[in-house]
Amino acid sequence: MRTLFALMVLCSLSLPVNAGAVGNGLTVNSVRHASYATFTRLVFEIEAAAPYVLIRSTDGRSVTLSSYDGPFLLKTPLPMVRDSVVLGLELRVEAGRTVVGVRLDGTAGAVKDFVLRGPDRIVIDIAKGAAAPVPVPALPTKKQTVIVLDPGHGGKDTGSVASQGVEKTLALDLALAIRNSLQKDPHLKVVLTREKDQALTLDERAAASNAAGALLFVSIHSSTGTGSRVFIQDLLDEPEPQTVRPVSGDFLGYEAGSEQKELLWGRQQAAHARESGVLGRELARQLVGQDSAEPVQAPLALLKAVDAAAVMIETGMDTDRAQAAAAIVKGIERYVREN
Amino acid sequence: MQSSRLLFGVAVIIAVLVASGGGLLWLWMGSSNTAPIPAEQDRQLAQQLLRDEPLSITLYYPHEGMLATESTVVKRQPDTQSLARAALEALFADQRVALEPVLRDIRLRELYLDGSGTAYVDLTPGARKDVRASAWEEQLAIYALVNTLLQNFEEIKQVRLLLDGTEAQTLAGHIDLSRTFAKRMDLVKQ
Repeated sequence: MRTLFALMVLCSLSLPVNAGAVGNGLTVNSVRHASYATFTRLVFEIEAAAPYVLIRSTDGRSVTLSSYDGPFLLKTPLPMVRDSVVLGLELRVEAGRTVVGVRLDGTAGAVKDFVLRGPDRIVIDIAKGAAAPVPVPALPTKKQTVIVLDPGHGGKDTGSVASQGVEKTLALDLALAIRNSLQKDPHLKVVLTREKDQALTLDERAAASNAAGALLFVSIHSSTGTGSRVFIQDLLDEPEPQTVRPVSGDFLGYEAGSEQKELLWGRQQAAHARESGVLGRELARQLVGQDSAEPVQAPLALLKAVDAAAVMIETGMDTDRAQAAAAIVKGIERYVREN
Repeated sequence: MQSSRLLFGVAVIIAVLVASGGGLLWLWMGSSNTAPIPAEQDRQLAQQLLRDEPLSITLYYPHEGMLATESTVVKRQPDTQSLARAALEALFADQRVALEPVLRDIRLRELYLDGSGTAYVDLTPGARKDVRASAWEEQLAIYALVNTLLQNFEEIKQVRLLLDGTEAQTLAGHIDLSRTFAKRMDLVKQ
């Protein structure tokens, strides 16, 4: 049986455990997750540092987290997690011990864990295997501006279905047409989040854009009818970013910066509100053909984590696609030129 | 001797009359405190009638690419939570809503109202498990629910949407459900 048990116990016993924590068990206050381009991260925020046990099953399809000594108490519902490697979390009892089970996809790679302080938390990173679905783009040369195009939906998620076709296919065709036009300019580097029919989570799309260092991000969708709309993120009523106490030193000496950055996941778009508004207005005017056209504000799950000027476009399925592609290319080129 | 007996008898009679008169007066005063006076009777009757009278509310529903409004009535309920639930049930039962993307594919599972004025609307997919819609259709469906609650019940300050009792990322792939929603009147057709 492939197990990380011995390593985990050794690691956890070497931690500067709070006095009295051993034997008091492990109390989990909250559970967060984030999907990055190359790995999925699960973060268990714990009440006080205490030894824990992390075991991967023989077939590699699940990981369990439990207390090394004493009860395991979960004070929050487990979030729904489903991406290309994590299929779900569940609380269950195994041999009289309460554990959190993490169901993994067959493509899941190595599982790494570490502990951070301020607040105390157990971090588990699950690598996306060799068959990772998200392309990790090469870094652009200095003079290139990176544009990320995101064809919506994919895989089992077909999006809207109409007599004109299936949204996932129409979106990919439009994205490829836009890329072909934009790539004529050597100063532009165009990255697609998917180049074939494949399923990606919303977080994976945002992560791919952030990893590529995009100046702008355009998510492409279709809707029935002839009308086209451009959406920008509605940032009203967004919660204040969570503040994090300075880290005085990690348990195992790991760099905590990446995990602290993760706490801000989903709030990246707030820093680009002005640029997204300018990009949205430019694209709306080109697509609608009116100088008074404005983008629509909506609380979009995808755009909130994009660290760039970002819009979502819905083109009508009855719209001339060549014209729509030309309008989007013109809008992008004008934005890049003027910003 | 005889006159003194007569005087004693008269005194006894007077005492009896005074005592019974006082008793009657006490009884009359006591009963006058509990018997409904006409104004109180009217108030109670009015309250009863009000309880039985349906409550008029405004429904917001997607129509021709925007939100439209329609007045309807729901049966009065003992509390805001039950009234809000009745309002959304009326929305889902509306024949026009039954034709609209998203709303035609989901059902109201439960509605809870907490002390801070947050209404938790718990939805569940209908017979078709996957809800397919454009971002605009999804936005209109969500704000149909949100506006119906916030425009009719001042105790409700914000709305959170759940799917099958748990937090979900989206209903149909676009609109972020991890946040609370306030009303959006700019989506309503003028």
